Amino acid sequence: MVMVWALSGLELKAQPPVPSSAPTAPSALKVLHLTFQAAETGFDPAKVSDYYSAVVISGIFDPLLTYDYLARPAHLIPNVSEALPTISADGKTYTLKIKQGIVFGQDPAFAGRARPLRAQDYLYSIKRFVDPKNRSPYAFLFLGKIVGLDALVSKAQKTGQFDYDAAVEGLQAPDPFTLSIKLTETDFNFSHVLAFPLVGAVAREVIERYGADSSAHPVGTGPYRLRQYLRSSKISLEKNPLFRTLRWEALPSTDIPDEAIRKSMQGKLLPAIDRIEISIMDEAQSRWLAFLRAETDMEYQLEELAPKFLTPTGELKSPFREQGIQLDRSVDPEISYLFFNTAETIGNQPNPIGGFTLPKIALRRAIAMAYDVQDQIAVIRKGQSVRAFYPIPPGVAGHQSQYRSSLSYNPALANALLDHFGYRRGADGYRSHPDGSALILEYASTPVERDRQFDELMKRSMDRIGLRLSIRKQRFSELLKLSSQCRLMMKQAAWIADYPDGDNFMQLLYGPHTGQSNAACYRSASFDRLYEQSRRLPDGAQRDLLYLQMTRQMEADTAWLLTDSRYRNVLLQPYVVGFKKHPVLTNEWIHMDIDRTRMKKAPAS
Amino acid sequence: MRQSERVAVFAVLAPQGLWSLAWSRLCRDTLGLIALGVVVMYLAVVLAAAAGWIAKDWSHEAGVNYAPPNGWIFSASPSEDRLPVARESIQVTPVAGVVDPLAPVIETLRESRLALAQEPQRLATLPLGADKWGRDVALKTLKGTQTSFIVGLLAAFLSVLLGSLLGAYAGYFGGIVDDVLNWIYSTFTAIPYLLLVLAIAAVLNQKGISTVILILGLTGWTGVFRLMRAEYMKHRNREYVLAAESIGASHARRMFYHILPNVSHVLLVQLSLNVVSFMKSEVILSFLGFGVGVDTVSWGSMLNEAQTELLLGKWWQLASATLAMALLVTAFSVFTDALRDALDPKLK
Repeated sequence: MVMVWALSGLELKAQPPVPSSAPTAPSALKVLHLTFQAAETGFDPAKVSDYYSAVVISGIFDPLLTYDYLARPAHLIPNVSEALPTISADGKTYTLKIKQGIVFGQDPAFAGRARPLRAQDYLYSIKRFVDPKNRSPYAFLFLGKIVGLDALVSKAQKTGQFDYDAAVEGLQAPDPFTLSIKLTETDFNFSHVLAFPLVGAVAREVIERYGADSSAHPVGTGPYRLRQYLRSSKISLEKNPLFRTLRWEALPSTDIPDEAIRKSMQGKLLPAIDRIEISIMDEAQSRWLAFLRAETDMEYQLEELAPKFLTPTGELKSPFREQGIQLDRSVDPEISYLFFNTAETIGNQPNPIGGFTLPKIALRRAIAMAYDVQDQIAVIRKGQSVRAFYPIPPGVAGHQSQYRSSLSYNPALANALLDHFGYRRGADGYRSHPDGSALILEYASTPVERDRQFDELMKRSMDRIGLRLSIRKQRFSELLKLSSQCRLMMKQAAWIADYPDGDNFMQLLYGPHTGQSNAACYRSASFDRLYEQSRRLPDGAQRDLLYLQMTRQMEADTAWLLTDSRYRNVLLQPYVVGFKKHPVLTNEWIHMDIDRTRMKKAPAS
Repeated sequence: MRQSERVAVFAVLAPQGLWSLAWSRLCRDTLGLIALGVVVMYLAVVLAAAAGWIAKDWSHEAGVNYAPPNGWIFSASPSEDRLPVARESIQVTPVAGVVDPLAPVIETLRESRLALAQEPQRLATLPLGADKWGRDVALKTLKGTQTSFIVGLLAAFLSVLLGSLLGAYAGYFGGIVDDVLNWIYSTFTAIPYLLLVLAIAAVLNQKGISTVILILGLTGWTGVFRLMRAEYMKHRNREYVLAAESIGASHARRMFYHILPNVSHVLLVQLSLNVVSFMKSEVILSFLGFGVGVDTVSWGSMLNEAQTELLLGKWWQLASATLAMALLVTAFSVFTDALRDALDPKLK
C-alpha cells in the first residue's frame, strides 16, 4: 500500500492559523471506543517506554518514516520525508528531505501562528532521547551510534545541563528541510530507528513552555490531537484540524482480506474516524463484557478469555459470527523462550548448568529436550500460540518459516544423554553431578497463577529425566534486574519486536549485550563474530545465511530453547472496517473507518 | 458376688467428670455423632495419606489431559474442544559452518536404540476426571485433604493457643498487662489482614506447609484474644473464682483450671471457625504465591487451578475440591456445635 499526498502544502498555508473546526452534531461524529488494560504513563515521547503511551503518542506525533499498512513483513515507507533516506555507500550517512508545508497542531506556545515542521525539530527530538534529565528508556537507540553525540551527553552529565544548541557533527540540517545523520559505525538498518513511533518531532517551544508537565501536553504534526485527558482513566483524541491532506491508497492485492480492506478504504481522506475514546480497564472480564455490550468497538487484550469466543482451531464461535463480529487473528512479532544461564558462575557460586564443557552442554541439551513445548501450547496457552523454532518471529525481516530446530522434544534421548555423561540417578530417582555432588536446578518465575502452570510443566518435564528442580519466586521487575545481572539460572522470557528487523532479536544473544538484554549471558566467540558481520549487512540472503548459522550455533551451545509465539486475537464490532493487525504499528485506527450503514439502530428507550 | 455388687453400685454413684458427662450428652446427639464420624473419616484419610498408603502417586499422569469423569459420581461427555496433539517428527538439516559438539554422542545413542521414546498409555476417563496434565482428580483431592486439613487444624490450634493465652492474661490481670496486650492487639488489627499476611510471609521468605501454618497462626489470633479477654473479665470476679481464691488456689490454677472449662465452649467455636477460615486463607495464600509449592497439592491450589479450567468448561476439579471441602467444613461445624452443647455446664 502506498500513501499519497493529494494536495500540496500551499493550501494548508492559506488556511487561517487557528481555524474553527466546523461544528458537527455529536451524533454525526465517528467515534472509536478502545480500552487499555494498563494505565498510560504520559505522552512525552522521550520519557516513556510502555506500549499504551506509545499507542497514543503514535497518533499525535509523526516519525520521519513509517511502515506500509498492509505489506508483510513490515515494509518501510516515507512518512513526512519525501522519500526513504539516501544511505551512503559505507552505510554511515543518512540523508532525508522533509516535505514542506507540514505544520504542528495548535497550542498557546505558538502564539496563534502556524508552526511549520523543520529538520531542526527532528534533531531536537533525537537529542531529547539522550538528555540525561529525561532518563529515556530508549536512549540506547542513539547512544554510541551518532558521531559527536556521546561527547555532548558526557558534558551534560558533568554540568547538569544538556546543551541543545551545541553543534553535533552527526546531526546536521544543511537547510531547514534537509536532515543529515552521521553514524559512528556502518549500519544499514538505522532507518527502522527513524520509523520507531516514539521518534516523532516535538516542537521545542512546547517542551520548554510546559517543562516537567510535557507529558500532558503532546503537540505534534500527526493526525490526532489530545482532546481530553484524565490520568489513568480516560484519554480522548480528536482529529487534528491542521493535519496535512492524506489519502488512503493501495495497490490491488491478491490477498482476499486485503482486497476487502482496500475496497472499503481506497481514496478516503485520513484519518476517517473523528474521535478515539480510550478507557483504562484492568480486568479482562470487564473488557469482555464491555465489548459484548458494544460499549467498545475493538478489543485485543483477551488472551485468557480466548476459549470463550474461539473454537480450538482458532475460528470465531458461531453466536459471535452470526452477530457479525469480526476476528483478526495474527501471530505477534514476538518469541517466548526458556533461557539457560551459560556463565560459569552465578554470583560467586558455581553454576551447575553453565560453561561450555561437553557434560554441561549435554545437561542443558537434556533439559531442552525434556521440556514439553507441545503441552505449553496446548494446555497453558490453550492453543493460542504457534511453535517457534527460529529466533526471529513471523512478520519480522529475517524470519524463516521452514526452519526446524535441532532441539526437539525427546525425553528418552535426554535420559540416555545424561546417563552417557555420568549424571547418575540416586535411590530417590534424582540425578547427581558426574562427581557425585548434589545437582539442583533453580528455575525462576513470578508468583502469579499463569506462572504456576509453567512451574508445574517445568517440574513434570524435569522429573521425567530425573533432575531435581527448585523454584524461585520473585516479582517481575525484580527478576528482570536479576536476569540482567546474570544471577538467574533458568527462566522463561519473551521479546516483542521494537522494530521489524531480525537484528532486534539476534542482539539478544550477542556477548557484549550481557548485562543488558542478553539474559542467557551467552558469550560465544563464533556467534559474536557472525553477529558483527550481520550488523554490517542490509536485509537480504547474505544476512539470512549468517542468521541461520547463528541460530544453529546457539542451539549447539544450547543457550535457549525457543518455545512459541502467541496469537493476537482482535475482536471488532461489525461496523468497524479497514483493520489489519500490523506487526509493529500500534495505531491501526489511523487507517480505519466506521461504516454507519452496518451499525445497529439503537434500541428505543 | 456381694462384694462386686457393692463395687458396681459405688461406680454408678461415683460423681461423673466433665468429659464423661459431655461424652454421654454427645452420644444422645445423633447429628453430632454423624458429624464426628465424618471428621474421623477425614482424619483417617489424612493419616493414610501422610503415611503414604493412599494417593502416593497423585502426580502420576494417569489420564489424558482433562480426561472427563467416567460417570461413577459425576459424568461429563468427552470434550470436543480438544485439538489433536500430533508430535511432529522433525528432520534437522545441518547448517554449513556450525559444529554441534554433541552430534557424535547423540548419533551413537540414537543408533544404540537406548533412546527409543515410549509414550505411556493414558486413560480416556477417570472416576473424578483428570486435570490439565492428566493427573487423577480423585487422588489429588485425597492428597489435598491431607494438606488442607493439616494446615487448617494446626494453624487454628496455634491461633487459638496464642489468642486464649494472651486473652486470659489480659482479661484476668487487667491493668498494665491488659494495656500492653491490648496495644499489641490494636497494632495487629490496625494493619489490613492481607497486608499483614504478606508482611509475615515476606519475613519468613519460604514456601511450604509449615510457613503457611505459621503465617495463618500468627495473624489469626486476634479474634480469639478479644473474646477470651472479655470472658476472663466477666469470670474473674464470679463467686466460684473468689471461692477458689479463698482456699488458696494460685493465679494459674484459677485461670486455667477453674475459668478455662467454663469458657471452653467459646474456644471450641473459635477453633472450628478458624479451621474453616484458614482452609480458605490457604487458598488466598496459594493465589498470591505464598501457598504450597508445585510439588504439593491442596484444595487451595486445586481451586486456584479451577479458575482457568472453568473457562474451558472443565468443572470436575472444582466440584471435587468444593465437595470435599464443603463436607468437611459442615461436618466440623456441626460437630463443634454438638461439642459445645455437650460441654456447656449450664446445659444439663
